[in-house]
Amino acid sequence: MERAERPRSLHRDAWDRLRKSPTTILCLAVAIIYVLVGLSTFSPKFDEKIEKSLSADKTYAPPALWEVAPDGHKQLSPARWFGLDFQGHSVFWGTLYGTRVALLITVITTIMVTVIGTTLGIVSGYFGGWVDDVIVWLFSTISSIPWLLLVIAIAYVVQDANPSLKQFFGGVATVIIALGLTDWVSLCRLIRGEVLKLRDRDFIVAARAIGLGHGRIIFRHILPNTVHIIIITASLGAVGYMQVEVILAFLGLGVTNKPSWGRMIDDARLELLRGHWWELAAATGAIFIICWALNVLGDSLRDALDPRLRGVQ
Amino acid sequence: MPAYILRKLLLTIPNILGIVIITFILFKVVAPDPARLYAGKQKSEAQLQSIRHEMQIDKPWWVQLWNIIRFKFAPSMRYKESFWSLFARKAPISLAIQLPVFIIELGIQLVLAVYVAARRGRFQDHVITFLAVFSMSVPALSIYLGAQELFAGHWKIFPVAGWDQHFFIAIHFAALPILVSVLGGWGSGTRFYRTIVLEEISSDYVRTAKAKGVGEAEILLTHVMRNIMIPVVTNTVAVLPLLFTGALLLERLFQIPGFGGLLVDAIQQQDQLLLMAIVYVTAIIYCLMLVVTDICYALVDPRVVLQ
Repeated sequence: MERAERPRSLHRDAWDRLRKSPTTILCLAVAIIYVLVGLSTFSPKFDEKIEKSLSADKTYAPPALWEVAPDGHKQLSPARWFGLDFQGHSVFWGTLYGTRVALLITVITTIMVTVIGTTLGIVSGYFGGWVDDVIVWLFSTISSIPWLLLVIAIAYVVQDANPSLKQFFGGVATVIIALGLTDWVSLCRLIRGEVLKLRDRDFIVAARAIGLGHGRIIFRHILPNTVHIIIITASLGAVGYMQVEVILAFLGLGVTNKPSWGRMIDDARLELLRGHWWELAAATGAIFIICWALNVLGDSLRDALDPRLRGVQ
Repeated sequence: MPAYILRKLLLTIPNILGIVIITFILFKVVAPDPARLYAGKQKSEAQLQSIRHEMQIDKPWWVQLWNIIRFKFAPSMRYKESFWSLFARKAPISLAIQLPVFIIELGIQLVLAVYVAARRGRFQDHVITFLAVFSMSVPALSIYLGAQELFAGHWKIFPVAGWDQHFFIAIHFAALPILVSVLGGWGSGTRFYRTIVLEEISSDYVRTAKAKGVGEAEILLTHVMRNIMIPVVTNTVAVLPLLFTGALLLERLFQIPGFGGLLVDAIQQQDQLLLMAIVYVTAIIYCLMLVVTDICYALVDPRVVLQ
């Protein structure tokens, strides 16, 4: 005789699926390590390290495990592991500092995108009417402008209009504003579609029939059913933010006076001509590893959280 | 069909209006005074006024708005050339790079997607999926820089950078940018089409065809290929105008005097009015191409018009 199984929640089920794949766990671990490294660079001790790592007597040194002191004594030196750049800055500490910049950009932009996209998406899908028309007009207009072009235009305008933004954390604010004001569009569209479907489902109708208010229906019944969309969009969105940061750095619109991965790659343009490859390699490696992890993680999350796609992959 | 096209065009009008509003807010309200950016801080108010007159921004705001709407832009102060003559000169060069890139890339993506989907879960599938994710994860700028250094700097197979009016010399210069661009861009499309081919393969008509004894190659090439044209069309038609605008990083790195390089110049030299013209015109063309996409969609899939 078959025994009835206890019903399992979507998130429980998704987590069980994710746990079974070693690749997913590896990617999750990589993402967590990046976040921890990024967080650890906020400590004042780290800033001291960066100051100290500047070796004034020397520009350009290839990667080495050891640093040779004037008295011939060899000492293990993390500052030299990835070599020195044209100003004598340690590429290793620069790369770690880049993690801080990337973490700031990714986290704040994601929060901005999630708040704007979810709010507008739910309001538009749930209430309908003229509010829906206005929001649909807004996101269809923004998505009918090529994304990168709009990001560049906003970054340019914002930075030039308000030079003090350049001072705030070396231009990170410009990148965040440009990305946050544009990237909510896809999330908003997805959430609106989902809410439109949810709105007429039995459990929502029942909730309305027993007299629950709009606020309670939205927060208790609709929002939890859109969380999977937010998670998937956020994990894949972060990849885009890091790639765009590189392009903005190249155009001189991004992070300007702090070592970010994009700026390091941009600096490496001139270094490569002289055969100094390590700064390019370090920054590219840092971006590649986290983007690869997030790409794979995003796909696994989509498979695990979106049952309709199961069996296709 | 004509009614469908007309309806789509009418529905675009609010979006075009929105693009005008966004452009106006960004470049006329938020952005700083372009005359001051151009002149620097030393100029007197009278000199600034004459620069403003030359830039045609001394007029009331509704005249400026009307000028944007009817695509009338003041000539660029740096190039001493109107936007449209710059566009006519530079867009074909961008197209000469981007069109081959587009065709080669789409070919590679479709062939790989069908190949991999037919071997789902096997070794080839894993390798190509891995490489695709690889190309999506490495920043394009790094791929360009690395390839330029290796192919041109180290092995000296191609020239490092440059351009020429003469067709055959231009091919010589264009080869590496095209190769590099394909190298950086094939990944995401391949994965996207792979998913679509997989969806098609698991559909009923494919099973019927198999049951009738149709060969695998024929199923893939005639049945499946035809049905995936819908997503292919929606995915490609809209990006066609972007072929004119070229690639920003690529054209700057390889010193191709195209439209993408012009955009980079406009940003770096703070040529604000030129940047505005580029953003506005590209957005309008892109928006109109989205309508064309919808029309193509309806042509490929007759069910769309009926809805």
